[in-house]
Amino acid sequence: MNLIQRLKIWKELRRLEARVREEPSPGTFVDLGQVFINLDMAERALQAADDGLLLFPDSTELKKLRTFARRAVDRVRIDELRERIAKNPNGKLYSELAAVQSEAGDQGAVHATCEEWSVRFPHDAGPWMWLGQSHLQAFYRSIAARDGGDAVQCLERAIGLEPKNIRARILLAELFYRIGSTQRARTLLDAVPREGDDGDLQNLRRQVSAARPLGSDVDSLLRAAEDNGMLPNAPPTAAVPVHGDEGIASIRDALAAIAEMEGVEKAAYIRGTRALVKGDIKDGKDPFLRTVRVVAKAGHRFSRRLDIGSFKRGVVQGPFGVLCICCYGEVLAAVQCEASAPTERILAELQEVVASSLYAMGVQQ
Amino acid sequence: MNPIQETLEELRRVAGVKGCMVVTNDGLVVAQSLGPRYREDIVAGLSSYLAMSTNKALEEGGLSGFESFTLHAAHGKSVLWSIGEAILIVLMDQFAEVESARRDIQAAAQRLRRTARIS
Repeated sequence: MNLIQRLKIWKELRRLEARVREEPSPGTFVDLGQVFINLDMAERALQAADDGLLLFPDSTELKKLRTFARRAVDRVRIDELRERIAKNPNGKLYSELAAVQSEAGDQGAVHATCEEWSVRFPHDAGPWMWLGQSHLQAFYRSIAARDGGDAVQCLERAIGLEPKNIRARILLAELFYRIGSTQRARTLLDAVPREGDDGDLQNLRRQVSAARPLGSDVDSLLRAAEDNGMLPNAPPTAAVPVHGDEGIASIRDALAAIAEMEGVEKAAYIRGTRALVKGDIKDGKDPFLRTVRVVAKAGHRFSRRLDIGSFKRGVVQGPFGVLCICCYGEVLAAVQCEASAPTERILAELQEVVASSLYAMGVQQ
Repeated sequence: MNPIQETLEELRRVAGVKGCMVVTNDGLVVAQSLGPRYREDIVAGLSSYLAMSTNKALEEGGLSGFESFTLHAAHGKSVLWSIGEAILIVLMDQFAEVESARRDIQAAAQRLRRTARIS
């Protein structure tokens, strides 16, 4: 690309950036992302797609742009890591490369990287861990005995090279438990110190000790699972006290209580593409939802770029009354009320809704 | 010192106020009292963006433009006050009491509006 072409693109870029601000639509975000891609600025294209999806979460073209930009970003990262590996190969770089390839969903590339890694560093457990996890993923998806056998082989090799590898022991123990080889699962878990147990590991230990043993021959258990098309034991369940439905019900109740407060006209709780509405709102297509989404998004951008942290609360006043918005990440609660309504109390209630919904989702604040 | 600048300097002395500025709706700086911490072009651009996006979203939702927008972020607070063809932006620290400064901000906005009308 010559200088004149480049200058033209930069000019176009400035125009599109202004258009995105003034007339946001999926099309304007896609046009902007396309220019970033033409300028080899994949990360900016990804950012444009993410910004667009916040405003238009259902846009197929923005999702396509995001996938394309993500791939471009991954490609750049992979090339960079390959270059660094060529100059100074080490296990950490190979692990990073396998992680990027795995995130990009290219299991073939992960296998090739691990093969090269294991040849160069034969005493490193890393490649066997990655291969084990890759086969394990394939096994849980297809229940093919061959994938299961490969996963067992790789994870056992990782443990052989690094006997203190707790992660490999847990993954293998879970696999043995799922296919019914509970005795082998127990032996593996007994070698894992109990001090560092998290909720998942505690559940696994509990379920392994309660499960009925089906045999100890791993190959025949894997074949039996393949023949039956299912695994005899369910995955370890998380011990989360609040169930999804109960969480939603409590949010709905809290929102209904806010909608009944003096002067409140509309109340909404939005999480990603989903919304709960109360008050004078017909359905999820009410323009109020889009209005508060866009205002919150603009508030986020303003705060971040001004370097004052993330946007938490906003109060917009006008002839229409007052809009109160509270948000945390992708969760947002908002109200439209009369100017005489107790806005401080409403904001406190909205904050409570957002906080309790985050608790229900298991997000740590 | 012109009356607009005078009003801003006075507002800057209110507790918790770190800086203030008047920009036209399309982002041109009319006057400012920001101090070294903030860059005027950035504050002007962002404020214009926030005001325009908010007004556009309100209009699309069948509502009229805003009179004031109070924003609380993790490390700071800001108040945008519409003064006709321009906006008064007040930047405050995270511990500032917006409610107690509100009267001063409103008075400053009214003075600025009057000044703009006279000139």
